[in-house]
Amino acid sequence: MMLHCRKLYLWLVGMLILGPFVPLIIQSLAFRWAWPDLLPSIWWVEQRENSRLPLAWDYVISPYSRVWEATLNTVFIGLSVTLIALVICLPAARVLARENFRGKAAFEFFLAMPLIVPEAAIGMSLLMIFIKLGLAGSYLGVIVVHLIPTLPYMIRMLTAVYQGLGREFEEQAMVLGASRGQVLRLVTLPMLMPGVIAGTLFTFLVSSNIFLLTFFMGQGQIVTLPTLLFSKISGGTLDATAAGIALVVTLPGIVLLLITERFINEEAFGKGFGS
Amino acid sequence: MTDHRGSSFWVWAQLAPALLVLVVLFGGALGLGVAQALGFAPWFGVNTFPDTRHFAALWSDAAFWQSLGLTLYYAVVSTALSLVFGVALALALQRAFPGKGLYKYIYKLPLMIPYTVGIALAVLMLGNGGMVSRGLAFVGLINDPGQFPQILKTHAGWGIIAVYVWKQTPFVTLTVYAVLLGLGRETAEAAAVLGARRRQIFCYVILPQILPAIVSSSLIILAFNIGAFEAPFILGGGYPETLPVVAWRYFNDADYSLQLRGMAVVVSIAVMSGVVLFGYLVAYRRYERRMGRG
Repeated sequence: MMLHCRKLYLWLVGMLILGPFVPLIIQSLAFRWAWPDLLPSIWWVEQRENSRLPLAWDYVISPYSRVWEATLNTVFIGLSVTLIALVICLPAARVLARENFRGKAAFEFFLAMPLIVPEAAIGMSLLMIFIKLGLAGSYLGVIVVHLIPTLPYMIRMLTAVYQGLGREFEEQAMVLGASRGQVLRLVTLPMLMPGVIAGTLFTFLVSSNIFLLTFFMGQGQIVTLPTLLFSKISGGTLDATAAGIALVVTLPGIVLLLITERFINEEAFGKGFGS
Repeated sequence: MTDHRGSSFWVWAQLAPALLVLVVLFGGALGLGVAQALGFAPWFGVNTFPDTRHFAALWSDAAFWQSLGLTLYYAVVSTALSLVFGVALALALQRAFPGKGLYKYIYKLPLMIPYTVGIALAVLMLGNGGMVSRGLAFVGLINDPGQFPQILKTHAGWGIIAVYVWKQTPFVTLTVYAVLLGLGRETAEAAAVLGARRRQIFCYVILPQILPAIVSSSLIILAFNIGAFEAPFILGGGYPETLPVVAWRYFNDADYSLQLRGMAVVVSIAVMSGVVLFGYLVAYRRYERRMGRG
């Protein structure tokens, strides 16, 4: 009995997660899909020749939809944020994992704060000063605000790696006569690599999913995948092109899911606050 | 090798880049938000700092308190549902079953994609012309989209809650499952051997151990839900709206004093979120102390 419940629940959750994507795919291919039909009465490809304007997927992959632009922006911003976050967080994570110092607990608490202060508060508070500084509507402005919600995750994940690394391996290498450079290149970096990859992927993921901060700081001039989809569905309806764009917006997540599963250290999430 | 241990200068030097970014950007945002809400807006040629007029105007408006209630209602209900579903899923994932490898990919999918996709799916599934409505028509329960009970764009907010829960259940599961993995099944099995029932095992053995993970994940999603904008903006029931949407509307008003009132809304959101989260943490710490931990 218990076993059946468990299986049923797993099935149900799986269906609820994947199920809605089936009509989303169908919708993106539909030309006419009236209520209460369970399948479209006219498909997009049937109407393709009859229309002078691009329909559905023709539109999605055309420059008019700005999908390519949004994809490139998302990737560019994500990569920049990740790189900056990595450079900033590596030394901090090392210290947090290995040293005990006064104010450590306070620092760790402060690190967690961006996770629990609403994004709306951060975005709107900064917007005016960013406009003043000419950062609003620029890549730099968007990249800079993306650092706020991503840094805490990056530091946590890197700290977890350093904790697992231990100092012994490096000291062993030193005892055996390795120089500092050699230790870094041959011992520290290879051992850190899995964690660095995990942190990098996760930071990229968080950045590519940010809507509100991009929406505020991008000022409509910088379009990313989440903001593009938002502008398509903000009216509360979903046509074929919006469905197509929603599918495109889902793709990076699927790609990241396939590669992160091997690297993401689930422990990094299990850590409590201030611990 | 020079031993840097204990040299606090070296320690802080390494922390400095991260600290600087957080203090300047995050601390700066908080400071600026409060300053603007108190009348500091030199870019409009206005500086009446400190001026509590904007807060006074906002807080004396009954609509503000309705919005606040609505914001909290969506945030708390969806966090609670995500917790229940997420913990249940983490427990269900503990045992082996055919296809578990694949399932561990599938359940994380909502975590990987933006909220806007979740909203698109909600429109498609739960709208009056959506798939659930079509399904009901197919089995003959309704014969007009108008007969479908409205789920989206109502103040009950089931559409908003559905999106949050869909998106956040995997987050809770991931966090809790990580802890369960670390625990192993030994303690639970020991309790079972000693004659504990399933309920007892969960309440006295498993729950206390996964509680820190539950608390930290629910803090994060609760804070997010309080500040979330896109789901209530698209799927909400119109006036009164949730606080982030209200702030956004004020903020886009041509009248600068309303923009400053928008900042007062934003500060109110941060304060409310702080109070709620702090209360939650205090309650949790008290519980921990009663259990003889912490």
